[in-house]
Amino acid sequence: MNGCPEVVQHLSVNTAVVIMAWLALMTAAGCARSESPPAGTTDGAPVVYVVNYPLQYFTERIAGDEVEVYFPAPAGEDPAFWRPGAEVIGAYQSADLIVLNGARYAKWIAMASLPASKMIDTSSAFDDQLISIEQGATHSHGPTGERAHSGTVSTTWLDFDLAIAQAQAVHDALVKLRPEKADRFEANFNALKNDLAGLDAQMMSIAQLIDDGPLVTSHPVYQYWARRYGLAVRSVMWEPDVVPNDRAISALKSLIAEHPATIMIWECVPDPRSVRLLETLGLRSAVFDPCGNVPDEGDFMTVMKHNTQVLREVLGGG
Amino acid sequence: MHPMVHIEGLRFRYRTSDFALHVPELALARGTSAAFTGPSGSGKTTLLNLIAGIRTPDRGRITVDGVNVEGLSDPARREFRIGRLGLVFQEFELIEYLSVLDNILLPYRIGPALRLDSSVRKRAVELAGTVGIDDKLNRYVGRLSHGEKQRVALCRALLTRPGLLLADEPTGSLDPANKMRVLDLLFECAREAGATLVMVTHDHDLLDRFERIVDFRQFHETAASADAVTARTGAGR
Amino acid sequence: MKHVLYMAWRYLAYHRIKSLILVGAIALIVFIPAALRVLVRQGETQLTARAQATPLLLGARDSPLELALNSLYFSADVPETIEFGRAQDIAASGLAGAIPLYVRFRSQNDPIVGTTVDYFAYRGLRVAAGRQMATLGECVVGATVASARGLEPGGQVISSPESVFDLAGAYPLRMRITGVLSPSHGPDDHAIFVDVKTAWIIEGLAHGHEDLRQPQAAGRVLRREGSNIVGNASVREYQEITPENIDSFHFHGDVATFPITAVIALPTDQKSTALLLGRYQSDEALQLLQPSEVVDELLATVFSVQNVIVAALIVVGTTTLALVALVFLLSLRLRRGEIETMMKIGGSRPRIASILGLEMAGVLGIGLLVSAGLTWCTSQIGPNAIQYFLRQ
Repeated sequence: MNGCPEVVQHLSVNTAVVIMAWLALMTAAGCARSESPPAGTTDGAPVVYVVNYPLQYFTERIAGDEVEVYFPAPAGEDPAFWRPGAEVIGAYQSADLIVLNGARYAKWIAMASLPASKMIDTSSAFDDQLISIEQGATHSHGPTGERAHSGTVSTTWLDFDLAIAQAQAVHDALVKLRPEKADRFEANFNALKNDLAGLDAQMMSIAQLIDDGPLVTSHPVYQYWARRYGLAVRSVMWEPDVVPNDRAISALKSLIAEHPATIMIWECVPDPRSVRLLETLGLRSAVFDPCGNVPDEGDFMTVMKHNTQVLREVLGGG
Repeated sequence: MHPMVHIEGLRFRYRTSDFALHVPELALARGTSAAFTGPSGSGKTTLLNLIAGIRTPDRGRITVDGVNVEGLSDPARREFRIGRLGLVFQEFELIEYLSVLDNILLPYRIGPALRLDSSVRKRAVELAGTVGIDDKLNRYVGRLSHGEKQRVALCRALLTRPGLLLADEPTGSLDPANKMRVLDLLFECAREAGATLVMVTHDHDLLDRFERIVDFRQFHETAASADAVTARTGAGR
Repeated sequence: MKHVLYMAWRYLAYHRIKSLILVGAIALIVFIPAALRVLVRQGETQLTARAQATPLLLGARDSPLELALNSLYFSADVPETIEFGRAQDIAASGLAGAIPLYVRFRSQNDPIVGTTVDYFAYRGLRVAAGRQMATLGECVVGATVASARGLEPGGQVISSPESVFDLAGAYPLRMRITGVLSPSHGPDDHAIFVDVKTAWIIEGLAHGHEDLRQPQAAGRVLRREGSNIVGNASVREYQEITPENIDSFHFHGDVATFPITAVIALPTDQKSTALLLGRYQSDEALQLLQPSEVVDELLATVFSVQNVIVAALIVVGTTTLALVALVFLLSLRLRRGEIETMMKIGGSRPRIASILGLEMAGVLGIGLLVSAGLTWCTSQIGPNAIQYFLRQ
């Protein structure tokens, strides 16, 4: 899951010490963060609430200090499955702008009462490109009942081209909110867009290195990433802090028998025993942090750059 | 002392009938009791009404308690009548929607010149006690017996301390027992008030009680006084 | 004067039945047109204010009046529904904000209004006690509903079945009250507000039940079709949404096709209004109307009816007054003896005339006072009475 405190295996020791110190600091700050909504804006700036960290990053990059951005999900919790209490939902209701990821990302949204007039769905522009979860059970009632929707893959920002579209949606909403700051928002957005385009280009070049090589992912959250960069990906359901049991290993063996992957992509640093186990099966481990919640250190851009760096190193060392 | 009632050369005729009344002269002393008697239609009630100022004569003079009644305006006659005369009628003529006490107090409610205050109310209650109806003051008069009703009328007539009490057959609707009781009260109250009593009656049994009898039928008077009264009607007398 | 009043009062009190009848007749012939006028005026004010505060209303192409009354006053007559996606269309057009309304269900006699929290800001409604609804299964209640039914935050309301015999239809849902609204002196005081998604749960389009994938639910499975599990009729649906079972609640089908009764469209400017009106003008399935125009038409009809009624009342009133005058004249005749008595005793003519006159004036005056009082009472209860009838 996101925000794991373990040392990243593939960095130098010095860097690791620095990172550990930084992690300790960030963890302390993260633990102190609670679900309490803000006491109110201090300078009268519009209040923007978001549902995940990438959107927080995009909003802060574009708006700077022109708006107050809030993302109240606790550190270490997956924002997709986070369930805020009534008080926090009340804070969202009071916001001037609510930025949603879309693609059914935040499950709690469907159960909450939020003002539609203040919500923007940053995935609506590419609604036709959303990926449905093909696997998994659905259900219906009676012989002719409609099926309950099984689900939609929601980690859209891992496709950095879609991330640009989401940032565009954030930009447009911010301009509507503070039209007098349109020029500044435009300039900031363009800078962000360039950065995301850079990431996109980096991933494209990494994809060429992978060269259609099959990959396995620890959870099914990399579909947009796989689609955008032409990667052949299959997934298991392995928790990074849980050493897989025999059945899980057997299932993996069956999987790689028909999908001969050599790399397992993890969302965060796995248990070293899991890594060793995978190595016995011919799989190297690489952490590609989706960064759904606030990272322990750095920001979205540094995390993603680090992700691409890790992949390069794994591929180069392969 | 001037008589309470003095009539001179009175002539009265109803417009719609042949009836004509001619009283050359009649004087009733203060404090006396006089009975007007005679056949029906002989003018007894008419003369009573003329004395009371309810009607005005065609000719002649009527002086009551020193006041020329016939010369007064209608409002003045009313004021004179309500303040200084007391009237008792055969049919009681009480107001059905007023209580016994309110009926007694009636003159003070319909006479602007009279002032209804606590002393008047007290006197009304005393009068009711005198005639024996003080336990019925809050009842509607419709629930009283004939005798009780006439006693209420008597109290009403006496409330203003009139100098002249005019009673038009006050016992005509009463049974014998009540008749004597009411008559006794009438005489007693008149005597106590020092009022002159003039009563129209058909009942010859009662005539002995009066000091003066004015016989409209025979045009005679049977009193000790030498005054003479002549009453002629269109009936040909 | 006091004696005149006393005498007149004693007379009226003694003949109380006659007096009451006369007072009642006079009071009625004055009260009825006055009350009618008051009610029409109040109705006009309420309807007009509410309609003018609602710029545009989108609904199924059917009776505009039914749509307007159901949307503005939450009347029991439910118009044809439209798809929730139509609200999304309006919002996406950029021409207007869109607030969906689903006014179909009731809790006892109080309407349950399915909407979004945007509605409260739009109508200027504030939570006086408790908090705004936050999740499915929660509701806020109007001030009048709360006081009439003794409801407060933390309490519950239950939706009523639409029909006693419709066992397979919408089932009662127990909803948690999170807040009570401040009085707004309008239809919102008489309503229970839920999220539109909660209204769909009442309808059965969304529900929560045990996980059919679990082994203990095996008895509830009809059959399996590939990855789809078909539940049988014994699947027990939750009748209350709690923090423990909320995750089990889900929708069957596409939410955009789910029903609503209307959309309140809030255009950004005059041009947007014109564009929207033009867009739906020739739509065969939908109508976009301006509630103020619908209300104006309704009021024109009401005024016409009022005029007819008033004309009829004038005739009746004239007849009644003539009869009252006749009663007075007959009364005078019956009181001839009393008048003669007072005359004979020596009562002054003006005073006697005043006593008689005050009887009539007293009856008229008391009648007018009673009608004024009744009219005032009507003016006090009128707004609530009008809203009650509009909700039927």
